[in-house]
Amino acid sequence: MTLAILQRTDRFVSVVWPSGLHGMNGYLFLLPAVALVFILVIALGYMLEFSLHELDLSTYRLKEAYSLTNYQTILDRPVYLRVLWRSLLAALIVTVITVFLAFPYAYLMVRTSSAATRKFLLVALFLPFFIGQVVRAYGWLIILGKQGLLNSILTGLGLPALDLIYNYPAVILGLVQYMLPFAVLLLTPAVAAISEDVELASESLGANWLQTFRHVVIPMATPGLVGSSVVVFTLTLTDFAMPEILGGGTSDFIANAIYDSYFQISNIGLGAALAILLTLIGSALVALMFMIAGTGTLAVTEAEE
Amino acid sequence: MSDKNTPFGFGRRRFLQGSALAAGALALPQFALAHGHTKKPSELIVRAWGGAWGESLKAGVADPFTAATGIPVRLDFTEDNEIKPKIWAAVDQGRVPPIHVNWDTTTNATISALRGATVDLGDLKGLDGLLSIAKPTGIDGWPLVNTYSYVYVCAYRPEAFPDGPPKSWRVMLDPKFKGRVALYDDGIGFNPIAVIAGGGTAADIPNNMEPAYAFYRDLKKNEPLLGEDADFTTWFQNGEIDIACTISVNARAAKQKGINVEWTVPQEGCKVDTDGLWIPKGLPENEEYWSKRFIEFAVTREAQEKWCSLLGLPPVFPGLEPPADLAGDPSYPTAPADFEKLVSVPSPILVENQPIWFAKFSEIMQG
Amino acid sequence: MNGPRSKAIALWGLVAFSLILLSFPTVIIIGASFTAGEIIQFPPEGFSLRWYEKLWQLDSFQDALLRTFYVSFICTLISLPVGTLAALATVRYRIRFRRTLQVYLLLPFTIPLVVSGLGMLIVFGEVRILGQLWPVGLALCIINLPFMIWAVSASVNGLDSELENAAANCGAAPVQIFFTVTLPAVMPGVITGALLMFILAFNEFLVSLFLVDSRIVTLPVQIYNSIRSVITPDLAAVSVVYILIAVIAVWVLDRLVGLEIFLRSK
Repeated sequence: MTLAILQRTDRFVSVVWPSGLHGMNGYLFLLPAVALVFILVIALGYMLEFSLHELDLSTYRLKEAYSLTNYQTILDRPVYLRVLWRSLLAALIVTVITVFLAFPYAYLMVRTSSAATRKFLLVALFLPFFIGQVVRAYGWLIILGKQGLLNSILTGLGLPALDLIYNYPAVILGLVQYMLPFAVLLLTPAVAAISEDVELASESLGANWLQTFRHVVIPMATPGLVGSSVVVFTLTLTDFAMPEILGGGTSDFIANAIYDSYFQISNIGLGAALAILLTLIGSALVALMFMIAGTGTLAVTEAEE
Repeated sequence: MSDKNTPFGFGRRRFLQGSALAAGALALPQFALAHGHTKKPSELIVRAWGGAWGESLKAGVADPFTAATGIPVRLDFTEDNEIKPKIWAAVDQGRVPPIHVNWDTTTNATISALRGATVDLGDLKGLDGLLSIAKPTGIDGWPLVNTYSYVYVCAYRPEAFPDGPPKSWRVMLDPKFKGRVALYDDGIGFNPIAVIAGGGTAADIPNNMEPAYAFYRDLKKNEPLLGEDADFTTWFQNGEIDIACTISVNARAAKQKGINVEWTVPQEGCKVDTDGLWIPKGLPENEEYWSKRFIEFAVTREAQEKWCSLLGLPPVFPGLEPPADLAGDPSYPTAPADFEKLVSVPSPILVENQPIWFAKFSEIMQG
Repeated sequence: MNGPRSKAIALWGLVAFSLILLSFPTVIIIGASFTAGEIIQFPPEGFSLRWYEKLWQLDSFQDALLRTFYVSFICTLISLPVGTLAALATVRYRIRFRRTLQVYLLLPFTIPLVVSGLGMLIVFGEVRILGQLWPVGLALCIINLPFMIWAVSASVNGLDSELENAAANCGAAPVQIFFTVTLPAVMPGVITGALLMFILAFNEFLVSLFLVDSRIVTLPVQIYNSIRSVITPDLAAVSVVYILIAVIAVWVLDRLVGLEIFLRSK
């Protein structure tokens, strides 16, 4: 029955998409995704247009004339470069810590011989997923606050209370916690693709586990590592909620600066200019990561080769 | 009440709308139009602030309005700054806006008026009898109606001030309160005060804001927390802060919830401002009509008395007594002498300068 | 020193840390939701279900929950074919400017959500599709699409192209090969991706905020709006409802396909 449907579909397809066109299959498959993302490109087009007009404070509309005032403002105000740098640094730190934690998690989950352990690790990974960033941030507030759990324990032990929240490290912590499940999920298939025999072979050749990890497991997991790193990096770079809630208002990222321009000071042109800059920088860094990670590794062979 | 209850049901409603359209198009007799134009909408959506704010609007205005007219009122708690671009986009694109009435700060409402997004409310009944602050300044007509004034008080934790309430805003700079001072995340409500606390005078606003910026730079060293209404309550309740500049309503609501917090007006004064109601352009005629009736109702004695006493704020309807717990409270100005202790910045100055102050504030605080 | 024992200790040590990190806020929130008091705190003040009662009595809560399911469903439904095909294309087919394309397909992550939200408000407003729920699902699909593509790509990397060739040599036609060989092979990635898309849509508030109005508000937006003015323990109660949904989803998935599907590479 199903087979009959498939065969009929095949006959139909062979008419509208003859095999001569099959070289174009890749492009055909890409078309829907490219089209969907194009909606964002249109949105970016609007932003580009907005960014080229200065705000007129007497009407709160953008002036007709084209100008680079908004970009000039960004360069003139050191605060924007500082906030940009803060976001980039956070993206880097969060990516390194998250991937460092995610790798052993994914590895153990794949390699453990106990089905119960595996299930436990998976469930522990999935449950926090369902609690949004905002609520998790409030969880941290209860734990890390001035009179929170940790500080009550400290003061109970006669130690001084610490400032654990409303600062940059708290934002980093919140982000690592938020990103960890993503990273593990994206790493797991890559780790699972590595045959255990390869590791055993390496160890039988006298390599200890650290050497095996460094020279065999990690290189073979590169596609997964690149994938999870890129995802964690870009999501952190553009994050809004964690710096907003855990940063105490003074650890803003670029997304918060964009938000403020759009909503607090109603300057959509300035916000749009920041958005364009951030998107360009983010995309350039991602391209760089692909270029570096795509060469000279022992990655799973790619289709082009 | 609703057409659903009549034997004609939806058909009649559609017919009326259709005939209204046809009448409009052909510029034919007005009677059909008159019907379409006052027909009750299925609901009114009023953007509001949540918590104690929303509860007061519901009890003081929305519920009595529904009781009188049969029109349900839905409160939309989208933040004031976030609804702004949604309304503007709708007006610019000629779409029906997402809300009927916006409860907004006077400054933001004036900005929307400048942008041409507001409906003129000059034909509302009862405006003449209100205090003069009900009428917006620096802009023609009545694009909005101010409904009460409010004060950004100095809220504090009494335990942290055993010698009595803070006398000057400058205590915020005391190293003792490092990391325990809170302001709004754009500095709203504090910008004019910072000028005075920083050594300037009210006359310096807006041309010489340097004293304020100097004060902010000093304050920055004391690592203040920046947040919104909800944060202040959370922070006071979790013992994170000792002193904050926040609207008296929030401090009062926190106190009523059992949080140990008091408020005062220090020697430099506090900023007093107003909130108002306005209607976005682009609503169907009958919805605009009933939105106007809603605002009209909100400034009646009945609504003002209940709404504003729940908020704990001085209404624009004259001659109403403050709630018992606020009699003589500096955050509830009634006499001219009370207002003298407060700093009021005219709306046009705020509209043109507030974005600049906000940007400078964040520049200093994000350093 | 570097024997299997140290390996176990090092790995389990790190995983234990991750487990604490992951579950700590969750446990706190669950605990706080049962407070009898007025504020979110831990340990909770007494025990009561009052905040759950309050939640359930809100008609708007149930409506918003249903809408959230609907939006997440639309988002997942669109992402399934779109993301799977794109992943196959980028990994398996000869594509010119492949790297450029991958950077392009990552735009949903490199553009901040605030910008995507405001941008789509303008675009969707222009074509007059605001005020309905399906565009919200579409928008959520767009902003999370890279997850679907990456999840499936990870599986495609492990897909043995010999199998497809063998099927073709046996005379199988392309559509048949796709559904009988290719798709089953990448199924773990497809399921991971679909689940991710659903969960993320279920929690997304920033982009949704711009695309819904109060008549069609979804749960995450309602939560976000409500905490802007006051934070009460019903926020914790909502989270526990979310966790319950998660438990059910994980259980159903385990029953249907087995959780191990996430761990298989082919």
